[in-house]
Amino acid sequence: MQFTKTPIDARMKASRSRCKATAARFFRRAKASAEPSLRVLVVMVLAALLFPRGMAAQTAPAATNTCVACHATQQDQRIATPAALFSGSDVHRENGFKCADCHGGNPAATDKARAHDPAQQFKGRPAGQAIVGTCARCHSDAAFMRGFAPRQRVDQATEYAASVHGQQLAKGDHNVATCASCHGAHGVRRVSDAKSPVFPTNVANTCATCHADTTRMRGYKRPDGSPLPTQQFADFQKSVHYATLTKGHDLAAPTCNDCHGNHGAAPPGVGSVANVCGTCHAIFAQKFGTSVHKDIFDKGCVECHSNHAVLKPSDDMLAASGRGICATCHNADDKADKGAAAAVAMRGDIERLKTGIERTGALIGQIKKAGIEVSDQQLALREAGTKLTLARTEMHAFAPPQVATVVAEGDTIIAAVDKAGQNGVVELRYRRRGLFISLGAILFVVVTLGLKLRQIEHRA
Amino acid sequence: MADNFNIPPFAASHFDRRTFLDALLAVGFVSTAAAIAYPVARYLVPPASGEPATQTAVAGRVGALGLNAAAIFKFGSKPGIVVRTAEGEIRAFSAVCTHLDCTVQFKNDTSQLWCACHNGTYDLGGAVVSGPPPRGLEQFVVNLRGEGNDAEIVVSRS
Amino acid sequence: MNLGTWLDERLDLSGVRHFIAEKGVPVHTQKIWYYLGGMTLFLFGVQIFTGILLLLYYRPSASEAYESVQFIVTQVQFGWLIRNVHSWSANLLIGLAFAHFFSVFFLKSYRKPRELTWVTGILLLFLMLGFGFSGYLLPWDELAYFATKVGTGIAGAVPVVGHFTLRLLRGGDDVTGATLSRFYGLHVAILPAVTTALVALHLLFVQQQGMSVPLSIERKLKPGERLPQMRFFPNYILRDVLAWYVVLAVLAALAAFYPWELGTKADPFAVVPPGIRPEWYFLAMFHTLKLLPSHVLGVEGEHLGVVAFGMAALFLILVPFLDRRASRGEPSRAFTVLAVLGLVYLVTFTIIGHYAK
Repeated sequence: MQFTKTPIDARMKASRSRCKATAARFFRRAKASAEPSLRVLVVMVLAALLFPRGMAAQTAPAATNTCVACHATQQDQRIATPAALFSGSDVHRENGFKCADCHGGNPAATDKARAHDPAQQFKGRPAGQAIVGTCARCHSDAAFMRGFAPRQRVDQATEYAASVHGQQLAKGDHNVATCASCHGAHGVRRVSDAKSPVFPTNVANTCATCHADTTRMRGYKRPDGSPLPTQQFADFQKSVHYATLTKGHDLAAPTCNDCHGNHGAAPPGVGSVANVCGTCHAIFAQKFGTSVHKDIFDKGCVECHSNHAVLKPSDDMLAASGRGICATCHNADDKADKGAAAAVAMRGDIERLKTGIERTGALIGQIKKAGIEVSDQQLALREAGTKLTLARTEMHAFAPPQVATVVAEGDTIIAAVDKAGQNGVVELRYRRRGLFISLGAILFVVVTLGLKLRQIEHRA
Repeated sequence: MADNFNIPPFAASHFDRRTFLDALLAVGFVSTAAAIAYPVARYLVPPASGEPATQTAVAGRVGALGLNAAAIFKFGSKPGIVVRTAEGEIRAFSAVCTHLDCTVQFKNDTSQLWCACHNGTYDLGGAVVSGPPPRGLEQFVVNLRGEGNDAEIVVSRS
Repeated sequence: MNLGTWLDERLDLSGVRHFIAEKGVPVHTQKIWYYLGGMTLFLFGVQIFTGILLLLYYRPSASEAYESVQFIVTQVQFGWLIRNVHSWSANLLIGLAFAHFFSVFFLKSYRKPRELTWVTGILLLFLMLGFGFSGYLLPWDELAYFATKVGTGIAGAVPVVGHFTLRLLRGGDDVTGATLSRFYGLHVAILPAVTTALVALHLLFVQQQGMSVPLSIERKLKPGERLPQMRFFPNYILRDVLAWYVVLAVLAALAAFYPWELGTKADPFAVVPPGIRPEWYFLAMFHTLKLLPSHVLGVEGEHLGVVAFGMAALFLILVPFLDRRASRGEPSRAFTVLAVLGLVYLVTFTIIGHYAK
């Protein structure tokens, strides 16, 4: 059988006719055949009885795909498992591809020698660069892929060659990941399939299979000579990104490939970390780009926020003393340290706005419970909250006057709400005063009535 | 009651306490009655805001919104945004960004709703286009009450 | 020609004139208690008046009730005043109703021939409690929601008919908008109708039979001797009006110094706030039920408690028929002791219930 890339219908038609021809040939040679052929015969007869209409690619095991028929029955799991996997959920099988389409050989042959015939381009188990070549033969062919998944990219192999994995593989290191390491080889699922190892929530686990394995990663070094770390996955699991992805079920959150690349996987160069973070955190990257730290920080965003263990930020980070991150380089006690002064100024502004919002919020809550209409004030408090968030964003330009401007806008809003709140308190006092006056009138009547009673009763 | 019915109380040679007391009593009753009647009368007059704005709110008039423009309005105690598309259709959404509760705004160059805090962007269906927001903006039902440019834009929750 | 003469020419008012001119009220040391009934009636009038005003703006649906009360209090002119008066007056009304009840109980005014006045009165007391319970839920705030849940749950503890009663009260198995609708109907239609009828009867009996003289004082009278009488009009009326104005003053003071707050909107899925308890007039009963052991002689404690309260209510209704000695005009120490015990129990358990965690 030729190893060919013909459309599915043609192949199916060819399969069916080959099925009949094979069966005919086989019966003629039955007696002279060896043991394996007998096993195959039994399976084939059973298959023919159970699936009389011939082999559609989706039903198991194809009479013309003798590979699966034979491999599935083997004792050795290294041979049986791929066949079983391929017969299950596999995107290639579902599109009509068979073992021979990747491995070569003769899928119609019923004995091992003929099935594994090198003359029929049988490759056996590809290893190293051969894996990439096997996948790339189709997946890098734009015209071919257009027939199956027009939007899918066809440059993965090129990207891979540029990646650390690809470069290592080219040097003969078979320890690194290849296509099959992440996507699987048999039982390959679409990326959008939640059970795929490269579905966004699974990517980190897949990468960690190797990168968190200290034994496997032993001997690998960074460009500067230090050993390649293996705690990235553990760090990532502490991060906000991981929590958003796994608990928040927000697939927009980044995982390994979003920062390191899919196939061209490499750590972003130190100069480009801000760009990488900036693909999503655009405003922060833009503000940071205008700041004094841009040329000073080696690692950009990572200096303060870490690369894998990106935690939820808090205002406590903005301090040049104690647990503040600024304290790493700046010293609040040093009067000449302008950076420390800036940190203190910005933090002071932010804290002032924060406490202002809390205090005014409490006042508004109090008069709301007492029965004053405050929906306008609640709206304004929300705006003040927006200003607070904007101030924290602005802080990334590390320029106190800019933060002060935003905070001042927030302060103006708070002042107005406060005034309305005080008006509310005044209104409550006015109500009380009105009732007091009514009370006076009522008591006046009580006294007068008492006097009147005394009057009529003394007359009697 | 037989004496002093001609002479006004204060002009009498001796002060008539009884009628004075009656007068005081009358004043007392009238003032307390007024103190009750006045608030009740004011209470019965419908207030300016009409009815509690739980399910619906008025978001201004059609004439106030140009094409490809938007305005923030108050829906209960939260902000909403009413948008008039370039084709003249009026839509309303919650203006509370689903990321960190900042108030979104309308960008008329891209005809999208945008949050200045962390660059979240929503399309005119409320769906997230880019940025950190985890969910789209809640869309409200819009009805018009009245005719032409004077029509009131009535926004309701469902 | 004055109004009186004009009406007299059309409707014969001579009976009314005679009644007003001749009616007297006995004068003695205990006559202060006479005013309690009128004060209760006055507050009931205040409740009807402010209640009608409130229902012009109130909306009895789970999604709008709280907001409508918020609207009344913040947007409607003097809405806060009407609502405050209604809430405080409700509490004062029940307080005065209990005071009136206890004064009659102690003075044995229920004895023959005033048994029916007592029966209508006891039923009115229960109706007032019903008004309080149904009205409390209407703002649909957190405390009210859970208090209603607990209260209707206790109703469900009555043996045999408990579950049916619970479903009848709640309009379902849980406290929902259906409960709110039901309570609203009870509060503004059913209870007012029944109460009006009973109040009419109660007043009719009182006017027909006149004010009762306390047993102890009556017994000191020599045969044929009559107590001095105070003229109903204008003396007693003026005193009555004075009492009403005193009540009004207390109302105004309470509304001024302790304005009623809005609370937070009910969330059926929220956790029950700790220390949830009903309004003060149910505290004694509630706390008693809480203190009962879970099982007494094989019977569930709560069932026993509810049945006991039911028996107590029945006993109260039947007091005039059970107190034979008072009906004969003889001193009835047993019932005085019972009254004292009842008062002490209610006051003590209300206080304990208030301060209990």
